[in-house]
Amino acid sequence: MFNVDRRLKFPSALILCLHYPACLLVMAALSEEVLLVVKRVRQRKQDGTLYLMTERIAWGPEGKDRFTVSHLYADIRCQKISPDGKSKIQLQLVLHTGESTTFHFANESTALKDRDAAKDLLQQLLPKFKKKANKQLEEKNKMLQEDPVLFQLYKDLVVSQVISAEEFWASRLKLSSVEHSLSNNSKQEVGISAAFLADIRPQTDGCNGLKYNLTSDIIESIFKTYPAVKQKYAENVPHNLTEKEFWTRFFQSHYFHRDRINTGQQDIFSECAKQDEKGLKSMVVQGVKNPMVDLLSLEDKTLDEGYGSLTVGPNSSKTVKENSNSAIIKRFNHHSAMVLAAGLRKVDAPSDQASETSSTDGNSRDSDFFQPPIKKVKLQEAIEYEDLQNGSGPKTIALNLKKSDRYSHGPVPLQSHHYSTSQDIINSVSCIQEEISCYKPCLTRVMPSSAASSAITALSPGGLLMQAGTQQAVSQLVPTDVQSELKHLYTAAGELLRHFWSCFPVNTPFLEEKVVKMRSNLERFQSTKLRPFQEKIQREYLSTNLTSHLDEMIQAAYNKFHAWQTRRMARKT
Amino acid sequence: MASEDEVSLLVIVVDVNPIWWGQQAQREPEFNLSKCLDAVMVMANSHLVMTRTNKLAIIASHCQESHFLYPNKHWKAGDVAGDEVSSGSGDGKYELLSVANDLVAEEIRNLMARTQVKGHQTDTLLAGSLAKALCYIHRVSKELEAGQDMKSRILVVKAAEDCALQYMNFMNVIFAAQKQNILIDACVLDSDSGLLQQACDITGGLYLKIPQKTALAQYLLWVFLPDADQRSQLVLPPSVHVDYRAACFCHRNLIEIGYVCSVCLSIFCNFSPICTTCETAFKIPLPQMMKPKKKKLKTAN
Repeated sequence: MFNVDRRLKFPSALILCLHYPACLLVMAALSEEVLLVVKRVRQRKQDGTLYLMTERIAWGPEGKDRFTVSHLYADIRCQKISPDGKSKIQLQLVLHTGESTTFHFANESTALKDRDAAKDLLQQLLPKFKKKANKQLEEKNKMLQEDPVLFQLYKDLVVSQVISAEEFWASRLKLSSVEHSLSNNSKQEVGISAAFLADIRPQTDGCNGLKYNLTSDIIESIFKTYPAVKQKYAENVPHNLTEKEFWTRFFQSHYFHRDRINTGQQDIFSECAKQDEKGLKSMVVQGVKNPMVDLLSLEDKTLDEGYGSLTVGPNSSKTVKENSNSAIIKRFNHHSAMVLAAGLRKVDAPSDQASETSSTDGNSRDSDFFQPPIKKVKLQEAIEYEDLQNGSGPKTIALNLKKSDRYSHGPVPLQSHHYSTSQDIINSVSCIQEEISCYKPCLTRVMPSSAASSAITALSPGGLLMQAGTQQAVSQLVPTDVQSELKHLYTAAGELLRHFWSCFPVNTPFLEEKVVKMRSNLERFQSTKLRPFQEKIQREYLSTNLTSHLDEMIQAAYNKFHAWQTRRMARKT
Repeated sequence: MASEDEVSLLVIVVDVNPIWWGQQAQREPEFNLSKCLDAVMVMANSHLVMTRTNKLAIIASHCQESHFLYPNKHWKAGDVAGDEVSSGSGDGKYELLSVANDLVAEEIRNLMARTQVKGHQTDTLLAGSLAKALCYIHRVSKELEAGQDMKSRILVVKAAEDCALQYMNFMNVIFAAQKQNILIDACVLDSDSGLLQQACDITGGLYLKIPQKTALAQYLLWVFLPDADQRSQLVLPPSVHVDYRAACFCHRNLIEIGYVCSVCLSIFCNFSPICTTCETAFKIPLPQMMKPKKKKLKTAN
């Protein structure tokens, strides 16, 4: 089986790499079938030969018969080629581990052809081996990339060998594997941007030519939206035209520029235009079956004299300008309809010809949705509002509170009130009434100056009332790197303690083993991580005892383990 | 440097519980209600003088009612001129201040004169006064001119003890003030008040229990006169640690760890299988008894 390697490569994406058992990597090259040999390939400034075999790609220097560089296709993440204009024709292989190997094709005459041949072959072979990459591995990788806290925890615990990788992932993968399988099945497909044709911005070539940059995404969008074009592509490439020629013709064609006014050129795309016209006509004829949408009411109504509306009849003659306007509008509508239809078409049934052809003309599938029973349901939904009806909700049990006055009593503990007798009350009230009845504000003698100055002293920094403010917060005394290290320690300790405490009550032998293992893990954590940290802060004269709480927690775990162990011994004897 | 558009409203809620103040007058004759009111007036005048656009309200919190000492319903800022010739404030004081002071004095005299002794009503109606203050602030904020901003705060001068019965109303007032961004400051004369500590903590105000009642004016001017923006620039007494522990429903002890009924959310300090408030029965799984191993059977075989 695979050994999971714990080494992580920084700073690029961290990946757990798979190692095949060593036996496959040995010079069993001759027994494998060689698919392609390319001479005069330089790697690291050495001349040599490149061999592409069924399961791997290898390179050996000139004159020697063993391979210095050998990569399995399963290890290769992707390949890159140098851009066309460059003098050096190179092919780069990027591995899953992040390493990359570059091959320089040095044969003057055939370099480009060689490189392209190698590239094409790799393009065909790599996808076959990619699927073998461990899906779980990718998942783990993704989790670690997304959550920096988890990544830190992983580094602290697994990389420093405090706990093993399996224990680390044991509780975590359980959570995500269920969601992952669900999400895989219901992954949403990426739709087509309605502007994809506009995104191909032509660049002037310097001398009256235009250069269009087509990526595979755009090509895919074009094929999805205009299946007619896809058909033409399948028919003509690579027999009649190369890909480049096909696309050049495409952009040159009037089909693309749509000056439909004068068709008639010998064009492979004129048929496409006719198909589109047909599709558009059938769309219009079919109309929109959704009873909620009434497109026909959106006619142009202009104002007539006297503010009545004037409907322009459909048969009125149009000027030339109006004709070209309507042509553009027709094109827009058609394009949008195709984009939408492409989105609704299911891509994962390419062999299902029937479903493909049913919407190749851009008709929306609304007609399917509005068969009678579904239509009725939809109408019902639109008419009724659930919350306006006297629906009977789920049966609930009423809450009956016997002593609800308890809630209104605040968290003021019952103190012995200062009870005054009624005589006291009467006396106080009469006293105060007497006093206030002759009250005249005397604002020049509000307080003696001695009282005022003692108040000021109390309020000044260092005074009676300001004592609490002089204590600095711990966060201000401790440097930030020590703080962050402490945080990491807490997360790591928390993780270990969580594993430890989850073993109790110890019912099964598996839990017994785990408890013992976790105890030793905690010890190891204490010795490898905690002690050095404590020594470090002692050295830096940080007098606050930052790790006492951590020590307490670990000590509590030790005590519990000890108690459990003695009980177990007692039960055995 | 407040602009013309920024209005600062201060509402002072003074606890004038006649029973407490009457007893206080007998305990400490040098600091009685008159002195307290003088100090509050100094504070109020200072606030009005700080900026022309500052507004003021004073509410007296009595055990029978909450009464506005200032402003008066029947008094408008305009008609000062003819009436108060005989006010006796020939000291050239800013007229607004002298009129305000006289008004307050008259109102408190009337208030105390109509006090009636009732044995069971001995607690200060503080929650009600705070609620009136909030309503007043709300009303004034509606009467602002377009483009004017208002910042308001409430200063509570508290004398008597907390009343546990007002807890719910108090908490509602505090949360309403928090929502409206109204600060509640508290200047406590005698015994610490947990409710006011919570109020100040939640709304962001200052809580201060003063050691010397005679220097009340000094404390008020030093600590409570600056408004919220200015307080960040000043060195003021640090905030008090507030005890937010809940009290259990059975004994009213303050507890840190307890049991909460999941149906009615009542808090208990001990586990009991039936919640006494909502009478729901709870089952707690008992720890499993491990079966003793049947060694004897083995040896027999």
